[in-house]
Amino acid sequence: MSVRQLAVAAALVAAAAALPLVASEYHQSFMLQLFMMVALAQAWNLISGMTGYVSFGHAAFFGIGAYAGALLLQYGFPWWLAVVKGALIAAAVSAPIGLLTLRLRGPYFAIAMLGLNEVARIVATLWVDLTRGGSGISLSPALLPGLSVNYYTMLLLAIAATALVAWIHRGRFGLELRAIREDEGAAEMVGVNTVRNKLSAFVLSAAIPGAVGAVFVMYTSYLNPSSAFAASLNIQMIVMVMFGGTGTVWGPVLGAGIVMLVREFLWAQFPALHLALLGAMLLVVVLFLPGGVMSVFARRKRMRPEVITRESR
Amino acid sequence: MTEPLLAIRGLETAYGAVQVLFGVELDVHPGEIVAVIGPNGAGKSTVIKTVIGLARSSKGSIRFAGEEISRMAPHRIPALGIGYVPQGRIVFARMTVEDNLEMGAFLIGERARRRRAVDAVFAQFPRLHERRAQLAGSLSGGEQQMLAIGRALMLDPRLVILDEPSLGLSPKYVDLIFEQLVDLKRQGRTLLMVEQNAARALELADRGYALELGRNRYSDSGAALLANPEVRRMYLGGAGRA
Repeated sequence: MSVRQLAVAAALVAAAAALPLVASEYHQSFMLQLFMMVALAQAWNLISGMTGYVSFGHAAFFGIGAYAGALLLQYGFPWWLAVVKGALIAAAVSAPIGLLTLRLRGPYFAIAMLGLNEVARIVATLWVDLTRGGSGISLSPALLPGLSVNYYTMLLLAIAATALVAWIHRGRFGLELRAIREDEGAAEMVGVNTVRNKLSAFVLSAAIPGAVGAVFVMYTSYLNPSSAFAASLNIQMIVMVMFGGTGTVWGPVLGAGIVMLVREFLWAQFPALHLALLGAMLLVVVLFLPGGVMSVFARRKRMRPEVITRESR
Repeated sequence: MTEPLLAIRGLETAYGAVQVLFGVELDVHPGEIVAVIGPNGAGKSTVIKTVIGLARSSKGSIRFAGEEISRMAPHRIPALGIGYVPQGRIVFARMTVEDNLEMGAFLIGERARRRRAVDAVFAQFPRLHERRAQLAGSLSGGEQQMLAIGRALMLDPRLVILDEPSLGLSPKYVDLIFEQLVDLKRQGRTLLMVEQNAARALELADRGYALELGRNRYSDSGAALLANPEVRRMYLGGAGRA
C-alpha cells in the first residue's frame, strides 16, 4: 500500500472514530451498518474476489456467528467473548464445508454455497430447542452493551477485514490465491498447494462474518432464522464488491460506501422506486465498468506503466 | 555412465478404464537433452504428466535423483528441482509478465532472491523484459511460450520438462523457441521434451525415445534415430523434415 493510500485510510478511520462525538444515533446506526457491510464485503472479496470461487452463501457464516453470539450472551458470556467465539465457531463450521465444496468449480460451488445458506436457515427454524425456531431469540437489554460499543466493535471488524485483505493482497499468500483464480492447474504446476490455500482463504472469509453476526445481534437484540440467514445479505455482499472492484483492497470499502449512501438517499427521496433505481445504477456499473469503480483509478494508472510495476508489488 | 537424474521403469498409467502406458522405460542423465517422439495417442504427454503428478501411475517407478516420486502431489514437484513447461503455453493470462515469472519462484520466500531469479530470466529473454509490465494474455503465442519456459527456469531446476514446446506456433516462433532450447543446452541444462516436430527435436536431442501405443519402440541417440529409415518412415512422415 502506498503512503497516500495509508494516509487516506488513516483519515477515514479517524473520522469514523470521532463521529459518535457529533453524530445522532440515527447516523451512528447508519454508519454501524456501513461498517458491517464493509466487513462482510471484504470477507466475500477474500474468497470470491481473490480465488474466483464465487460464494452465494456467505450469509450462512453470518447467521452461525449471530446465533452463536446470541446463545453465548444468554448463557452469560461477556460480549467480547461472544464475538470472538462467533468468529471461531463460524470458522470451525466452515472448514469441513470448504473441504467438500471447494472441490466444485464455477457455478457448482456457487450453487452449493447457496444451498448451504438455505440448509442453515431450515436447521435454525427446525431446531427449536436451541434457536426457538421461527419465533426467534430476544435478548434482554441487560445482557447487551450500548450502541457505542457496538459501533466501535463493528468499526474494528471493518478495519480488521480490510487490513487482512490488504496484507494478503501484497504477500505471497495473495499471489498464490491470484494464481488459483487465474488458472488453478497452472498454479499447482508451479508448486502452489491449491487445496490448503483455498481452504485457508475460505476459513478466514467465514470467520469475519461470524464475528460480524455476533455484533449484529448485540445491536438488534433480536434474531430469527430469516434475519440471520437472509438471502438479501448474500446479494448485498456480492453487489457491493462488484460495484467497487472485485479482488481489490479498496473496492469493497468503496462499493459498500457508495451503495449504502445512494440507497439511503434514494429511499428518502423515492420511497416506492428506490430499489428499482438502485438496480438500474448497478446495471450501469456492471455494463460500463466491469472492473468496478476501482477500475477508473486503475485505468488512470495504466498510462504510467512504471508506476504500476512499482506499486503492484 | 553417470547415475540417471530421472529413471522411469515399467511405467503403466491409465485414465479411468483406458490404459495409456504399458511399461514405459526412460532415463535422463544430467546435462543431456532427451526427446520423446511418437504419433498422437502414443502416450508421450502422459509420460510427462505422470512424472509431474498430474496423472497417476498404476505400476512401475519414477525415480528423480534417487527418490521415488510417482506418488507425489503435483504441487510438491517444483521444490524437487523439476521445472515444467505445460502444453499449450499455460500462463496466468491476467497477470503481468513479471508477476508470472515471480509465480514460478514463489516457493522462494525471500523477495531479493526472487528478484534475482526474475532478472536472470530477463537477461536470457530480453523480449520478456521489454514486455514485463504487460498482461501475459496480451503476448503473442511465441512470447507466451517464452514466458512459460522462463517461469519454469525460475527455481533453477535440475531438470526442465517441456510438453510440446513448438505446438501451435508460427514457423518464425518455432525457430525462435528451438534456438532458446539450444541456448539452454549450451548452458548445461538437462531437458526432457515431448515434441510432435520429431525431426527438429531429434536434431537437438542427445538421445530420443520413440513411443508407439504406450510402449517403447526405439531408443537411440538423436542422430541415430534421425538416420534410421524405419524411424523416418514411421515418425518423420517419410524422408523429408516434418
